[in-house]
Amino acid sequence: MYHEFSMAARQTNPNFMNGVPELLILRLLKQKEMYGYEIVQAIRSRTGAVIEVGEGVVYPVLHGLERDGALTSRRRTVNGRSRIYYSVTPVGSHRLADLSEAWTHLANAIKKTLTGRQHGKAIQ
Amino acid sequence: MEKLFNELRERLLRAGVAPRHVRRYLAELADHLDDLRAEEERAGRSRGVAESAALIRLGGMDDLSKAMIGQRQFQSWCVRAPWAVFGLAPLLLLAGAYFVACLILWFGWKFLLPGTDTPFVRVNGFAIFYFGVGRWLYFGAPILIGWGIGLIAARQRFKAFWPTVGLVLIALMGGTAQVHAGRTAVPGGVRYISMGFNFGSSAQGISNGLLHALVILSLAVPPYLIWRSQKAHSLSA
Repeated sequence: MYHEFSMAARQTNPNFMNGVPELLILRLLKQKEMYGYEIVQAIRSRTGAVIEVGEGVVYPVLHGLERDGALTSRRRTVNGRSRIYYSVTPVGSHRLADLSEAWTHLANAIKKTLTGRQHGKAIQ
Repeated sequence: MEKLFNELRERLLRAGVAPRHVRRYLAELADHLDDLRAEEERAGRSRGVAESAALIRLGGMDDLSKAMIGQRQFQSWCVRAPWAVFGLAPLLLLAGAYFVACLILWFGWKFLLPGTDTPFVRVNGFAIFYFGVGRWLYFGAPILIGWGIGLIAARQRFKAFWPTVGLVLIALMGGTAQVHAGRTAVPGGVRYISMGFNFGSSAQGISNGLLHALVILSLAVPPYLIWRSQKAHSLSA
């Protein structure tokens, strides 16, 4: 039964996702510390559910960022449940700035290509 | 759900993800699944439907395993450098244990047996306990290190090749180890302790060394075999 359901799971094309989870996670955690489930819900809410991944996939990204020193984690008990909360370190803030800049450039370039502005100017 | 997590655990361990990373990943996934199920139940779904929906949202087995396996930084040292974990490190550990055992012997000889020409004499009182510690370290270290090799290999679901190499090396080192103690050839000469690793030249020496190596192997290997069979049994259950 599990396989039937997992086959039907909706996912964003992974080819377009390179670096996106890191960017979104760092951006969200820059505002406040969160645990995994909160992060995924926040991503879904902020992106209007445009970005869909298996929710569990967020943890390897979180662990990787923590290992790189971009995030730090601490265990907190909230409403009787122990959870691991993540927050951004100064290294993570630098990484967020770099990623944001790179993605802004890329997004602008793609937008120009799609709207054909440069091409239009060249013809004129 | 338990089956899903067991399968994921096995897949990750066999792919070389370090056990501590696997443990943490599965714990966080279990918490996440609980949250998802609670959310689905709040939306009015029955427990069974909520659980199925939560599993879909959590992600498929392939996605969950690939996401972790794809990050090389989570790979265990057993996979990155098996020759170091199962070959070099045990030998260095055993050498260190032998060095400490020799130090214990030398200090005991100097302070508890000052008048003797060798530390290998009958002792009494506190000296029995003191030299017993050194003897325990000398004879017990290869077996303990062998158990360590077995434990690491079993936790990582490692194939038998490298653990076998490590166990054989430890058994050979332990079987061929020989401690010599004496004084330099002058009246009241300086005490010295040396250690060598060889089977000796006589047939008796070779058979003793091999026998010692076999004893070490026979004591060090069973826990590994038991752990392996337990893991296999828990998987097939």
